[in-house]
Amino acid sequence: MTFSLTLSVSDLLLLLPELFLTAWLCVVLIVDFSFKRIVQEQLAYLSILGLVITLACLAWFDMTGITGTLFGKMFVLDRMAIFFKVMILLATILVILLSIDYVHRFSFFRGEYYFLVVMSALGMMFMTSANDLLSLFVTLEFATFGFYVLVSYLRDDMASNEAGLKFFILGVFAAGLLAYGISLVYGETGKLVFSEMIGAAPTTGLVIGFLLIFAALGFKIGAVPFHSWIPDTYHGAPTPVTAFLSIAPKVAAFAILLRLFLVALATFKPAWALLIVATSILSMTYGNIVAIAQRNVKRLLAYSGIAQVGNVLIGLAAGTKMGTDSILFYLLTYLFANLGAFAVIMAISNAVGSDEIEDYSGLNRRSPFLAFAMLIFLLSLAGVPPLAGFIGKLYIFVAAIKEGLYILITVGLVNIVVSMYYYLIVVKKMYINEPLDSSPIKTTGPLRAVIYVGLAGTLVIGIYPQPFLDWAVAATLMFSNLLGPAASIPVSVAPFGG
Amino acid sequence: MVEYTLLIILFAPFVGALALIFVSNRQLSLVRGIAAGSAFVSLIASVYLFYAYDPLKGGYQFIQRIEWSRQLGISLHLGVDGIGTPLVLASSILLFAGIFVSWHIKDRVKEFYIWLLILAAATIGVFMSLDLFFLYFFYEMSVIPMYLLLGMWGSHTKKYLEMTDAEGLKQRDSVGFIFNFGANSKEYAAMKLVLFLSAFAVAALMGILLIYKFSGLNTFDILVLREQAHFSGPLATLIWLLIFFGFASIAPIWPLHSWSPVGHAAAPAATSMLHAGVLMKLGHFSIIRVAFEILPETTRELMPIAAVLCIFSIIYGGLVAYYAKDTKYVIGYSSSSHMGYVFLGMAALDYISLSGAVIYMFAHAMATGMLFAMAGWVYDQTHTRDIPSLGGLSNRMPFISAAFVIGCMASIGMPGTVNFIAEVMIIVGSWNKYPFQVVVAVLGIVLTMAYLFKMMRGLFYGSMAEKYSHSHDAVTVVDRMPLLIMITVSISFGIFPGHLYSVVRSGVDPLIARITKVVPVAEHPMNLPHATSPTVPTSASREALAKVTPR
Repeated sequence: MTFSLTLSVSDLLLLLPELFLTAWLCVVLIVDFSFKRIVQEQLAYLSILGLVITLACLAWFDMTGITGTLFGKMFVLDRMAIFFKVMILLATILVILLSIDYVHRFSFFRGEYYFLVVMSALGMMFMTSANDLLSLFVTLEFATFGFYVLVSYLRDDMASNEAGLKFFILGVFAAGLLAYGISLVYGETGKLVFSEMIGAAPTTGLVIGFLLIFAALGFKIGAVPFHSWIPDTYHGAPTPVTAFLSIAPKVAAFAILLRLFLVALATFKPAWALLIVATSILSMTYGNIVAIAQRNVKRLLAYSGIAQVGNVLIGLAAGTKMGTDSILFYLLTYLFANLGAFAVIMAISNAVGSDEIEDYSGLNRRSPFLAFAMLIFLLSLAGVPPLAGFIGKLYIFVAAIKEGLYILITVGLVNIVVSMYYYLIVVKKMYINEPLDSSPIKTTGPLRAVIYVGLAGTLVIGIYPQPFLDWAVAATLMFSNLLGPAASIPVSVAPFGG
Repeated sequence: MVEYTLLIILFAPFVGALALIFVSNRQLSLVRGIAAGSAFVSLIASVYLFYAYDPLKGGYQFIQRIEWSRQLGISLHLGVDGIGTPLVLASSILLFAGIFVSWHIKDRVKEFYIWLLILAAATIGVFMSLDLFFLYFFYEMSVIPMYLLLGMWGSHTKKYLEMTDAEGLKQRDSVGFIFNFGANSKEYAAMKLVLFLSAFAVAALMGILLIYKFSGLNTFDILVLREQAHFSGPLATLIWLLIFFGFASIAPIWPLHSWSPVGHAAAPAATSMLHAGVLMKLGHFSIIRVAFEILPETTRELMPIAAVLCIFSIIYGGLVAYYAKDTKYVIGYSSSSHMGYVFLGMAALDYISLSGAVIYMFAHAMATGMLFAMAGWVYDQTHTRDIPSLGGLSNRMPFISAAFVIGCMASIGMPGTVNFIAEVMIIVGSWNKYPFQVVVAVLGIVLTMAYLFKMMRGLFYGSMAEKYSHSHDAVTVVDRMPLLIMITVSISFGIFPGHLYSVVRSGVDPLIARITKVVPVAEHPMNLPHATSPTVPTSASREALAKVTPR
């Protein structure tokens, strides 16, 4: 295969957000070590400025409809990529706001922290545009690279080091699986670009190759049985990094999963749907049941995140245009609720110094605002109306029931009730129990800002979701050919994932 | 303005709750003022609604339709028929009364009123939803405020508090989740309520999703589904069972009732009032709105299930109420027993009995609201709900004890209260189809008398313990008003039921006609509109019914 390396200005335009962010990264790094007197907060706001400009650029793309492919289809900028990029940038901005107070806990390299966060964001932005196996590998590793460092940023904290090590070893293992899977798929088909693989003969090598790729991506999204790194890593990592980890890599990996399953493997849907259904059921059930036993709120959110991923996978199992819309929409609602919840966790851990659920006792008396915000975020995660999470769950269920996934929906509905229990345990601590220490809790400006954004997102999307639904629907127009079950190939000749 | 009546009723409490967020907890009178004000707006609008609803025209009126999601086929479609109208009125009466009943709450007043307003608004939302999505939306929305109201302002049972030794404390922490025999903490009660209701709510949601899928219409609109969706065979049975049991859990029908008395007992007075008064009716109402409207044929086939279960509801609830020693347990179990009558009235699928069931829902809201308000008053004064340790309170609280007698009379169904009319209609209407159940229901009335009189004697007569000599009567306007409102409503509709009856009939007639396939009387050219003779069921309707319904 040949690569055309001639780039015109209009080609570069497609890369503008990434190019700009790369340049901005360098600026942040240079500013950090050129001015000795620079306060780290200024670096944070500098990074946010860059991210906001990038966001504005993407908004312009979205409105003018600029799309296209680059580098022999390695890189694609379509409206779905823009949607995912916007989510990643939004998450990054909120995470940087979360970090501003936290960075004081790091003994060294406070400036580089923002560099690493934005670099990971850049990697994930590339990930959402990856359109062939090579760029999939490169971007995925690029995005994970920053996280390896970020997770173990608390150098004096054993838990953080352990988290980093665990994440690194399992991450590298997943990368190995991914590389092996890619080599198998390339060997069998001779194709790298997703869209060119359609209709490849389902040989054993190809099946194994795709299973390996799925395993590597399953590691990224933290679906059972590839979840084992999640609890310890979430627990040990610095809380803003946990918050980042809990949303952005999942979002980016779902972009790839959608392209992989709905473009490259579109014809084998009856076969891989079973795989996704099984993963989804396992993730939801395992995540929710184990979350009940948690005493640390970060671990609780880690397991709840596993369960949420199971929910998102329902949309993928549906494998239709509507399923895709519902995934995009669900991730958006999850972003606001989850980052908001982490903001509350950080506000409390700043005051109390720990993340145990026990420390949330009587939060309502200590800080009614924080307790109310946490209540809203947890209930949104649980899927209670009129919050965004409810609409997200319902949308996914509607998409799935149109495809007749009754068992999956039943499991999902039962899991809503199970999850209600552990979210309400936290609510009980906050509202019903009396505080052990009744001193009021103060929140700082940046944390408050994140909480307000989270509340606004959760409530507005929950009460008036139409514009967001429209946005998600417009973003996945490329999948509108996916009407109904892809029954063109009988299951018997397509042993994929079976 | 008039066409926005439903929006005003629904959103006034929400706006009140929103306004309360920005008020400081220290400005107590402002907090109460906002809560009472928003409830009052809602009340006035629903009184207007009740009298402006035109029973001659019938059908759904005051319709509002706001597109909400094109992709999912959801719109905020509001409208009331003759069944929803009285229930909306009952909800807003109880909300308004509940605000005054909880006037003396000390702890986190602002939050209390916020959650109470949201709870009431959500229940009102169910009664006017014409869209399956919003029906479920409001239904589920009413559950979480219950959790907080019970947990934050509720109370433990006596038996739970008695467990103070080491062994008991251990038991207290590890109370078995389903059976813990009366030793309930408020946290337990709240969690049980939420999980129980959510578990069955998702069953109903599954039913709703199946309706959505198999109607193939891409809409959640009840009016569209009612006209165009047809279900038959095992699928219809499955959907019907999911819908019926999903919603019947909140009603609560017999094997699914156990969360309810526990929840009543733990809840603060105003919450119990709303819980027993209107929240439980969400179940019956949603069954009528979803199962009766969309699956009429299946309803005709399967409604005997309710007729069987209601026997157990009536007898079991009544017996437990007789032996219970906790005031709120007695009223709680009496409520679940009385909800059996509503199921009986629904199961008979007759014009009279279903109208009776709907009127009974309204009547029961008033009667049980009174009883819970007074049980709450007694608890506030004496800090106990234990009937054996109380007694002779009528000396200290003559007004309360007089009102309690009226409440008991209403609950039993004395002539002169609206409950009487409802009970008679249920009994007369279901006699043809379910004579055995009618006998049980009459026995249930006797049982009701037994336990209510027993409780009345235990609380207000006999000798009074010295420690209760400081308890007060309700003397101020604020304390007496909620009781007086409910008593007035109960008695005035008992004496002048005409408008209530014709409103309810206008909602019931088309429904029963669809289910039993009898031409509704009102549409029959030979008959005058039934509204001209409101109190007496037209003989033609009974004849028409007798021709078709198998005896």
